[in-house]
Amino acid sequence: MESIMPDMQPMNQTVQETPQFRVLTEDQIEQIYFAALDVLERIGSRVHQDEALELFRSSNEAVVSDDKRVRVPASLVERALKTYPRKITLQGRNGKRSVALQKDHVYFGTGSDLPFTYDRKTSERRRTTYKDVVDAARIVDYLPNFDFFMSHGIVGDVPNPQTYDRHQFMAMLEGCTKPMVVTSVDGEGLEDLWKMACLFQGGEEEFRLSPMFVAYIEPISPLTNDRSAVEKLLFAAEKGIPAMYTPCPSSGATAPATIAGMLVQSLAETLLAAVMCYLKKPGMPLIMGGVTTVMDMRTTTYSYGAPELSLASAANTDISKWLNLIMFSTGGCSDSKWVDEQAAIESTLSLLTAYLSGANLVHDVGYIDSGVNASLESLVMNDEIIGMVRQVGKGIRTDDEGLALKVINEVGPGGEFVTHDHTYENWRDWFLPRLMDRSDWETWNSEGCKTLSDRVNDETQRILDTHEPQPIDEATQKALKEIIDAAEKRHSK
Amino acid sequence: MAVDLGKMADLLIAGKVEDVSNMTQEAIDEGLDPQEVLENGLIAGMDVVGQRFKACEMFIPEVLRSAKAMSAGMDKLRPLLSESQAKAAGTMVIGTVKGDLHDIGKNLVAMMFEGAGFKVVNLGIDLDTQVFVDAVKEHKPDLLGMSALLTTTMPRMGEVVNALKEAGVRDQVKIMVGGAPVTGEFAQEIGADIYGANAASSVDKGREAVGK
Repeated sequence: MESIMPDMQPMNQTVQETPQFRVLTEDQIEQIYFAALDVLERIGSRVHQDEALELFRSSNEAVVSDDKRVRVPASLVERALKTYPRKITLQGRNGKRSVALQKDHVYFGTGSDLPFTYDRKTSERRRTTYKDVVDAARIVDYLPNFDFFMSHGIVGDVPNPQTYDRHQFMAMLEGCTKPMVVTSVDGEGLEDLWKMACLFQGGEEEFRLSPMFVAYIEPISPLTNDRSAVEKLLFAAEKGIPAMYTPCPSSGATAPATIAGMLVQSLAETLLAAVMCYLKKPGMPLIMGGVTTVMDMRTTTYSYGAPELSLASAANTDISKWLNLIMFSTGGCSDSKWVDEQAAIESTLSLLTAYLSGANLVHDVGYIDSGVNASLESLVMNDEIIGMVRQVGKGIRTDDEGLALKVINEVGPGGEFVTHDHTYENWRDWFLPRLMDRSDWETWNSEGCKTLSDRVNDETQRILDTHEPQPIDEATQKALKEIIDAAEKRHSK
Repeated sequence: MAVDLGKMADLLIAGKVEDVSNMTQEAIDEGLDPQEVLENGLIAGMDVVGQRFKACEMFIPEVLRSAKAMSAGMDKLRPLLSESQAKAAGTMVIGTVKGDLHDIGKNLVAMMFEGAGFKVVNLGIDLDTQVFVDAVKEHKPDLLGMSALLTTTMPRMGEVVNALKEAGVRDQVKIMVGGAPVTGEFAQEIGADIYGANAASSVDKGREAVGK
């Protein structure tokens, strides 16, 4: 379109393609980083796993005390940090490389392992089952704004808690074709899940090029690393499996009551993992993580809805970008026991903040009851919220088409834009609500006065009734089952 | 080559205003029955548009393009339709009452009615009561539509209804009112026949009321 302004190419223009959001300045990030290095040099972190202790000892740089405390010099940390990739592209079992983890690319997904579920028929809270995980997987497979899947619930109806992870992964695969983040019991469990994923991807090397999943692993704050977590981390390092080592400190209880203090401590926890993996085998895709929030001082609840979670998570993302590490963050979660106004408010705040901050994998979307209860309705509601949040992230174009001076001229005072070509061509950029109601009162009234909860419930049922994910072929199913059966056999001895 | 009315319907659904207009002319030149062109070409297309709009597959900008195409086709056909056929398509007079300069809602309703095949006489905005009365006498419409966005101008609608009664033409037309502060109750109070809550439902209710 020809410009009708005399000079549309002025000099010295700075244009924002998207909104800009930052919590910390570079100076503040450096303060936190240097403090974390200091923690590792002076205080150290305790490691309850022999192979890792041996790796640290034989580095001739780290110092291991008799109480299993490991202290690491800054030089070793900085060498380790240089070895981690800045980009990992995940591929679902549908073959799509749909999650490109790199700076400021944001993807949303569920959390995992919720012990309870509201039964949709009885409304009662009960233990989560295999079928609940399949249902959550199908919902996430369908919902357009979910990019990756964690199990949402933990399968409670399995033969042996020591092998639950294989069954859970099977339930996830059954219902969902998107990339995943998986939890596992221990190193052996992770190995089985990895073998299961490799069946779809045609082997170890292919998995490394486009991994199907990221392994979720967490330390115990403050500054403690248990055996199974370290085992998983070392296995991931050996095989080049992407993994996040994600501290879950509660400010005021397992971390300082100041956000900066919590960030220092959790960064020290991450950096120790970075060194450990480097000593095992340099170059695995290590992802930085953190569910950084406060402990509620009335109830002792680890809060998923606190505004401090949003603020601290955004700050952590700032740090991750400065360190050139991919970031696993948190949003779309709530302390509310029910999918109600509180759940909507808390979810929206953390989703918007996480999105604007540019975190790469935003997980725990749909958590209610402070990470204890699973709700399919919450997933459906959050999908709409993410749609709105992504719209805010689109930013504003100020080119000729965006400024629309020609159109304003053509329509003129008192005219209308609704039938103009410019409207026809541009309005589809808008967010299109699927659950938010914008009808007039009469229509709303005549259609049964449905609240958001009603509409979310209807939509959840509709998806469950209609969505069938792309099936897994028989040969692969059989091979998956063999891996699971072998694990059962080993553990029944 | 015979004009394909199914294709005409598809072009109308796609909002190709000029194509529909040209194709209607071709159909006329080929001597097709105007009533058949209307029903199997234009109206068949608009019926699909209506369904898709309700199913959230088409939206206002697309619907209005199709409506414009319908209207363009109707402009060609109307002179050829018999008086009873033209009458059957329906006529509407519409305007915004005195003191109100808000135009867009009323125009949306007008465009949607054109899309339904109505001949629409759009009187404009800020209209004296007498303008409505004169228009009803002159055009003998099936429907009179009035809109107001302001609570201060709403009562003007009642004045128009009363003036139509005094002029003895109230019963020859169905009266429809709408606008953000207007309600079904208000419509009843002032003696109107139909309350249109939004552009699409106004067309549905209007067609139902006049049997088109």
